[in-house]
Amino acid sequence: MTFIPTIVGVILITYIIAYLIPTDPVRAWVGGEKLLNPEALERVRKKYKFDAPWYEQFTFLTYMLFTGQLDDPIKRVKVIQELSFRFPITFELAIFGFIFSALIGIPLGIISALRKDTIIDFFVRFFAFFGSSMPSFVLYYFLILALFVMAKTTYLAGVPRPSTTCYAYISSLPSSFPIIGHLLFYVGQIPLFGSMMCGEWNIVWETAKRFYLPGLALGLLNGGFIARIVRNSLLDALSSDYVLFAKARGLPKRWVWNHAFKNALVPLVTVLGLQFGGLLSGAVIAETVFNIPGMGRFMYDSIIRLNFPAIIAGTFLFALVYVTVNLIVDILYALIDPRIRY
Amino acid sequence: MSESVYNLLSKIIDLYAKSREKVKYGWIQKNISKINEWKLMAYAYSRSYIGLVGGFLVLITVLLAILGPYVSWEEYWDYRAVLEPDLYLRPPCLSFTGNCPLLGTDEWGRDILAMILYGMRISFVISLLVVVLGVPLGIILGLMAGYKGGIIDEILMRITDMFIAFPGLILSIAFATVLPERIRGLLDTHPALRDFLLGLFALRPQEYSQLAALLSVFSALIIVWWPGYARIVRGSVLSVKEQTFIEAARSLGLSTWRILLKHLLPNIISPILVMATFDLATATLLAASLSFLGLGPQDPVPELGFMISKAGLYFPERSWWIVIADGTVLLLIALGWNLLGDALRDVFDPRTRRAIEVKARAKSLKEGKK
Repeated sequence: MTFIPTIVGVILITYIIAYLIPTDPVRAWVGGEKLLNPEALERVRKKYKFDAPWYEQFTFLTYMLFTGQLDDPIKRVKVIQELSFRFPITFELAIFGFIFSALIGIPLGIISALRKDTIIDFFVRFFAFFGSSMPSFVLYYFLILALFVMAKTTYLAGVPRPSTTCYAYISSLPSSFPIIGHLLFYVGQIPLFGSMMCGEWNIVWETAKRFYLPGLALGLLNGGFIARIVRNSLLDALSSDYVLFAKARGLPKRWVWNHAFKNALVPLVTVLGLQFGGLLSGAVIAETVFNIPGMGRFMYDSIIRLNFPAIIAGTFLFALVYVTVNLIVDILYALIDPRIRY
Repeated sequence: MSESVYNLLSKIIDLYAKSREKVKYGWIQKNISKINEWKLMAYAYSRSYIGLVGGFLVLITVLLAILGPYVSWEEYWDYRAVLEPDLYLRPPCLSFTGNCPLLGTDEWGRDILAMILYGMRISFVISLLVVVLGVPLGIILGLMAGYKGGIIDEILMRITDMFIAFPGLILSIAFATVLPERIRGLLDTHPALRDFLLGLFALRPQEYSQLAALLSVFSALIIVWWPGYARIVRGSVLSVKEQTFIEAARSLGLSTWRILLKHLLPNIISPILVMATFDLATATLLAASLSFLGLGPQDPVPELGFMISKAGLYFPERSWWIVIADGTVLLLIALGWNLLGDALRDVFDPRTRRAIEVKARAKSLKEGKK
C-alpha cells in the first residue's frame, strides 16, 4: 500500500513542473500567436479548467485521467487511446532489449566467473566499462551504419502490426473466454504477441527484423553491467561454505552448480527487473535514433509541445510501471529464496 | 610505472603533512596512523592498472578541458565556410603543409579538433557542477533523514521515492524545457554571476542566451541527481548512528551538526566519493544526451552532444568523422572516470586494502629470504 503516495506524488511533481512554466500552454495548443482565435482560446481554457484555482484543475485532470475521458488538446484523440497505441510498442522494444541484454550478459558473466583472472575475465570487465562509458547515441549510429547501411539486414521505418481480422479476433476473446480472455486481450494489444496468437508468423518475423537492431544496441549497453553482477554474485556463492561442503561430500558437479547458481540468482533478478522497468519507461534516445513511436518519444514530444494532459497521463503510466515492476521483483524474490517472507 | 606513481603520491602526502606540521606543531605525531593509512591507499592505488589508466585518462581530459579554450586555434563563432566554401564538411586529412584539418570540419567549416577543445570544457564544467552541487544536497538530506528519523525521515524518503520512480532522463527533459525562462530572468538581474559562468564555460558574452539553456541542463541534472545519494547516505547513517562513538559524542553534549559533519560523515564518505566519481561519467553522458535531443545550447556553441546530433543529419557519408571524433572524446572522458572509480572502490575498501598490504609484505619477505 506504500505505492499509492508514490503515484500521487509523481503526478503532483508533474503538476508542479507544469506550474513552473511562465508561458500559457493553452496559447500553444490553439495554434501560437499568429493563428490565435480568442474564442477558441477561451473555450479550451474553460474545457481544461485553466481559469479555476490549481487544486480544482489538479482534481479535474486526475479525475478525467482515471475515468479515461481526458482529451489530447493537440491531436484530438483521447489520451488513453494514444497511450494504448504507444505503450505496446515500447513494451516490444523492452522485450527485445531485455532478451539481448540477458543473452549477452548472463553467459559472459558465468564464463568470466569460471575463468577468473584470465584474459576472458579481463575482456568481460572491459566490456562492462565500455557499456557504461559509451555515449548511447554514438553506438546507435554505428550499429545503423554497420547493419542498416552496409549489411542491409534491417529496416528502420514503421512498426509491423497484425492484420485487422487478427485484431477482430483478439477483441472477441473476452466474450468467448471469461477471465483468461481479458488477459489475452491485453496481451494481444502488443503487436508481437497479437500476431503470435493469430498465427501470423510473417508479422512476427518482420517484427524481429525491425526490432533486433535497437534491441541489440540496448543489449550491448546493458549486457556488460549484467555480466558483472552475475560474475560477482556467482563468485560469492562459489566461495561460500555450503559449496565447499557440497564439494567435500563429493556431490556431482552439476549439483554443486545448482546450489551455487540458485543463490547467485537473487541479485540477478533484482538487476534484470530494474532493467526491464527502465526499458519500459522509455529509451528516449534509442526511440529517437531508431525512429520508433514509443513512450519515450511520446513523452519528449508532449513535453516540447507543453501538452500537459499527455504528460500527466504518461507520468502516471510510468509510476504504475515502476510500482508493478518492483512488486513483481519482490514476488520473484519470495519464489527464489524461501528465506524471504512477506 | 606503479613504483614511480607510488613515490609521487607518497611525496605529496609527506608534503601535505609537513605543511600541516608547520601550522600546528605536533600534527604529524598525532596523526601518524592516518598518514600511514593514506600511504597504504596510495600503494593500493598504484598497484591497480585499471586505476592507473583511469587516472591518466582523467588527468589528460581535465587538463585539456581547463586549457583547451586557451590553446584552441580557431574561434567557435568563426563560420569559415561562408567565405571558403571548400571547408564545408571536409573529411579528415593529414598533411604537413598546414591549412588541412586533421579531424575534418563541420558544416560551418570549423575545425573539429578545435571545437572539441571547447566542447570538453563545457562537458567537464557541467559534470563537475552537477556533482559538486547535487551530491552535497543529497548528503545533507540523507544525513537529516537518517539521523533525525521519525516524521522528517518519512517525508524525505517519500519525496525521494517519487523522484526515483520517475525516469531520470524524462524528468530532466521536463526541467530542461521549463527552466530556461526562469534562469534567463535570474541572469538578467545578476550580471556578475552571468560573467562568472560565461568565463567558466569559456563562452563569449554574446552567448548569454545559450547560457540559460546550458544552466537549465545542469539544473535539471541536479534535480534528478540528489535522490540516489540521499537514499544511500540514509542507509549508511542508520547503520553507523547506533554505534557507541556517536552515543559518546551525544553524551558529551556536542551539537547535532557537529556530530553529523565531524563524526558521522567521515565514516560514510568513502562509498559516496566512489559513487561521485562514477557519476561524473554519467553526468557527462547525460548532459550530452540532453543536448543531443536538442535541449541544450544551440549554434554556435560547440557542445559535443549537440555536434553529434547535427552530424546525424549527414550521417554516414558526409559526417562520419564528426560522430567518431566527438563520440570518442565522450567515451574517453566517461571511461576515465569509470576506471578511476573502480580503482577507488578497492582503495577505499579497508578489506581489499589489507589484502593488498598482506600480499605486498609476503612478497617482500620472500624476496628478503632469497
